[in-house]
Amino acid sequence: MADPLKRAEITDNVAADLTAAAPEAAVAELPPEVVAQSLGEYVRGYVARIRAGESGVLPVVMAMVAIVVVFEVISPNNVYLSPGNLVNLFQQSAVIMVLAMAEAFALVLGEIDLSIGFVGACGAAITVQLIQPATTNWPWPLAVLAGLLFCVVFGAIQGTLITRLHLPSFIVTLAGYLVANGLFLKILLFGPFSGYPNLTGQSDNLHFIYNLMWGTIDPIVSWIGAAVVVAALGGFIWFSDSRRRKSGLVAPPASLSLIKIGLIAVVAIVVVGICNLNRGVLIVQEGVPWVIPIVIAVLAAWTVLLGRTKYGRYLYAIGGNPEAARRAGINLSVVRTAAFMLCSFTAGIALLLYASYLNGMSNNVQAGYYVLYAVAAAVIGGTSLMGGRGKPLHGVLGGLVIGAIYNGMYLLALSFEWQYIVTGLVLLAAIIIDAVSRRGSASGSVTRI
Amino acid sequence: MKANRIAAALVVLGFSAVACGASSGSGGVTPGKKIAFLAPDASARFENQDRPLFQSKVQSLCSDCEVIYHNAGGDATLQEQQAQSAIAAGANVIVLDPVNTTFASAIAAAAAKRHVAVIAYDRLVLNAAGVTYYVAFDNETIGALQGDALLTAMKTSTKPTVVMIHGDPADLNAELLKKAAHGALDGKVTIAKEYDTPASSPGDAQLEMTQALTALNNKVDGVYAADDGVAGGVVAAMKAAGLTTLPPITGGDAELSAVQRILAGDQYMTVYRPVKQEAEAAALLAYDLAFGVSVAAAVTGGKTVNNSARDVPALLVEPQTVTRRTLISTVIADGFWTRSQLCTADYAKACKAAGLS
Repeated sequence: MADPLKRAEITDNVAADLTAAAPEAAVAELPPEVVAQSLGEYVRGYVARIRAGESGVLPVVMAMVAIVVVFEVISPNNVYLSPGNLVNLFQQSAVIMVLAMAEAFALVLGEIDLSIGFVGACGAAITVQLIQPATTNWPWPLAVLAGLLFCVVFGAIQGTLITRLHLPSFIVTLAGYLVANGLFLKILLFGPFSGYPNLTGQSDNLHFIYNLMWGTIDPIVSWIGAAVVVAALGGFIWFSDSRRRKSGLVAPPASLSLIKIGLIAVVAIVVVGICNLNRGVLIVQEGVPWVIPIVIAVLAAWTVLLGRTKYGRYLYAIGGNPEAARRAGINLSVVRTAAFMLCSFTAGIALLLYASYLNGMSNNVQAGYYVLYAVAAAVIGGTSLMGGRGKPLHGVLGGLVIGAIYNGMYLLALSFEWQYIVTGLVLLAAIIIDAVSRRGSASGSVTRI
Repeated sequence: MKANRIAAALVVLGFSAVACGASSGSGGVTPGKKIAFLAPDASARFENQDRPLFQSKVQSLCSDCEVIYHNAGGDATLQEQQAQSAIAAGANVIVLDPVNTTFASAIAAAAAKRHVAVIAYDRLVLNAAGVTYYVAFDNETIGALQGDALLTAMKTSTKPTVVMIHGDPADLNAELLKKAAHGALDGKVTIAKEYDTPASSPGDAQLEMTQALTALNNKVDGVYAADDGVAGGVVAAMKAAGLTTLPPITGGDAELSAVQRILAGDQYMTVYRPVKQEAEAAALLAYDLAFGVSVAAAVTGGKTVNNSARDVPALLVEPQTVTRRTLISTVIADGFWTRSQLCTADYAKACKAAGLS
């Protein structure tokens, strides 16, 4: 058999569930879209799953709502939910979101990668340096490629050391963290920029990188783009579901497909609608910032890779039970090394967004903190530190929670002592909600670490 | 107290050595003297600024004097060895920028034993009675300098709205700045938002300023930014918020990027610590001490700084405000930044407007 885990192809969740090796296969353990034949059955199945501790992303969404409500009430003039601040919030969270999606590759394996903050920072610094008109003046696509290539190579070296020599990822990536930190400082010192190569000059390449975070799409184009994305996604969901139904395979009821498509359309309309309101004070500022489609593109690519490809299933299988995966004929070293490469690659994208946010690169990038926040974001979103469970979406939602806390605290200008205390307590509360809601879950919970 | 008596004795010894030098060197040809300059670490400043400035000033005062230069590379023990070897080589005066302000008291004690005068340079040597003079910048005035400059820039508005972005709360210097800046601004402006920025990170400063602008609906008349790093973050936040004319923003340290922002009109001021004045003042003082020339009281203006062992006569060099108007007479005149470093292609127009090219 070409695919040792063919039977797990039913849906993305099943692979994780099966490899978590629950002895008794209760109905609640299967996602409702697999077993339900009507909408009523689906809803009952979903409620049963939540009762059984399979709450998915529900806890993090609840935590998010609680944070938003609190800050909206106590923020001066209730500006927390103003269009301007919501766009701020997304821009401020984007780096942690993407970094958390990067970390997901290591976490799903039950490993950790501490180096990604500075490895990504090296990549971003390389890109920013290469496009400087005063020195190399590379076109931006080549410079971005060079920066990301550095990250992939760094990830490949770390991954090879971890998998071939069976070294603990914690130590290897800690060493990588230090090496990358030093390299980062060295890279910054090239050229006549006194350690602060920036994006302020007159050059299309500089403008492009700056626009990754700050550029906006024209409102009309935003609407058209959103319509195209919703139509494409909706078409994909509808046709793949109806094909399954026609072929007699397990498939969600037609009403559920429609509800899903409707939800996606509503989210798109709300997001684009908010972004298209004028948020400027003295000048007009409107349109969807580039960073939103960038984050969505990363999310979509990695969701498909992890949920719908053989590689993704192998990754969950190894994370759930490496020995079983090995016996099933999966090449552990190759899959795991590739995961570390994907991890560093995605971190390169995250820190490129950071460079764009900062309008350049400087030596006081808090890359160490960023890695810890990325791990926290993924775990708050529902990813397990023990491996086998986790999705890119978790990182996005967890990153939004962390961004929402910081955004609100800075809006209130809370003193830094309280910032630390509040952040710590909110993170703790979020993970408690997650753990309690998953009590009794078969597919692993954070409390069982 | 015994320690105090020893300390007093050392002071007397130190000064009598100076007095002896004065009588012996007062006639005829002056034989060359040796002056040691002990730099603490490898930061570019010491090799590029302090060392050449100090050396050339000493040479201009007495051509056959020798400057013994050592750099400890951040190692306090190595600095002590370097001091010992300088004393053994017959140094008459040691100009000491301590790696560690407490550890270095051993160096001062060893020097005092051999009647070698010690000038604490840039940083004070603590708990040491053997320190003859202290030459440094008057860092405590910087916060007031920034605050006053901001008030001048905003003088057209009554009770203006100000956001204060401070540096790293773990840094003692940042705390001093904060206090002095409050002293200058409190009561005269409305401080709408105030932040401490861990590690003075420009990224965090940008986040702080973005949120302050959101909360205040972009109505800010001026920003107190403690240093050039956070000032960079503040400018970036304002540009991202779509502000076309930026309110006055302060800064510190006279970093290249900050001076360029001043040229372009994005930042109002920064603070320049004139290394040239500091190095030359130390050289002149070292020369006087080596040859026993009595130092006029006017040099220190009677100022002293207590180092827990004695009140050390202190020569405090005033930091200077750098704005678009004073840029040429400060950082350019002293060669701190050159025209070619400042006037890159992107700033060519601004340089021309400022009369720099």
